[in-house]
Amino acid sequence: MPQQLDQHAQAQVALVVFRVGPYRAALDACHVLAMTNHPTASRTANAQSLLDEDDDHAPPTRWLTLRDAQTASDNQNTWQLGVSGDITLQQLPANRLYPLPKLLLSRRFSTALCGLAFDQQQLVLLLDARKLNPSLSQAPALSQPTTNS
Amino acid sequence: MTAEDPRDGVANDRPLATLSLNDALAAQSDSETVVDVDEPTQQLVLFRLDDQRFALPGSAVSEILPSDQPVYYVPGLPASTEGVLHLRGKIESVISLHQLLGLPTPEVTSKGMILLVRAAGVTSGVRIEQLDDVCEVTQSMLQAPPETLPGTLRPYVSALWQIDERQALALLDPEALFDAYRQGLG
Repeated sequence: MPQQLDQHAQAQVALVVFRVGPYRAALDACHVLAMTNHPTASRTANAQSLLDEDDDHAPPTRWLTLRDAQTASDNQNTWQLGVSGDITLQQLPANRLYPLPKLLLSRRFSTALCGLAFDQQQLVLLLDARKLNPSLSQAPALSQPTTNS
Repeated sequence: MTAEDPRDGVANDRPLATLSLNDALAAQSDSETVVDVDEPTQQLVLFRLDDQRFALPGSAVSEILPSDQPVYYVPGLPASTEGVLHLRGKIESVISLHQLLGLPTPEVTSKGMILLVRAAGVTSGVRIEQLDDVCEVTQSMLQAPPETLPGTLRPYVSALWQIDERQALALLDPEALFDAYRQGLG
């Protein structure tokens, strides 16, 4: 057991970190297939509309291509999550990633909000890519598809 | 050396009753009011919300955090959730009880202290407006909540302490508060 704890303390998790409106958020890098400046997939969703019931959302400036966990039968289906700000790949220590406090689990707007982290004294919302559901978003694709990566 | 007249200071000449030492001591002890020092007591943390007086059991309050403890806003949660705090390597929620207790929501975010409360298998910060005291009270001073208690408070008040003729204090049940919050109330 102590050995497991030690391994956990030393372990790193690769995260794709981006902005969702004024907030910093991150996804497990293993779920992110690509990044584009414009939406290219037939299905897209603004990350902010998936996280917050507030309607006042800024348009996304970047698009992350994710596997569609909702259609498990066909793992090739993808969709795009609209985010903003610079997108970076970061390795964060596993022992600095915290599950969402118990009291908040039943009150969150989105079950995709699974945890929190602190990076450079800033809060980072940890999102479970498998729980992000593009069908819940009303956000249309914003412009002509142009592949950037 | 002279023997004292046992009747010195007695105004009349009636004969004095004779008591054994045991009887005298027993009579003396019976004449005193005995304070039951073993009466069960309860520690209470007294505070105010909307200028009303409340308390939580001291056994449920693990820590009292200063008002300048940083609280980080988390989107996608109800307005009664102020955010989270980062305390010694743990993340804890911070909630407000105003909505749950049917109190008006303060227009300006309160800058009172935060009580770290443990109940119903949950730990959470609870923002208060003013900390009044931490004290021990005897159980007999706590009365059952009256029927006249507002309906919004009734599910969460386990006892009432009548401090004086004008002031009463509601002892809150932290488990009921957290259970209700988890069920979507407040």
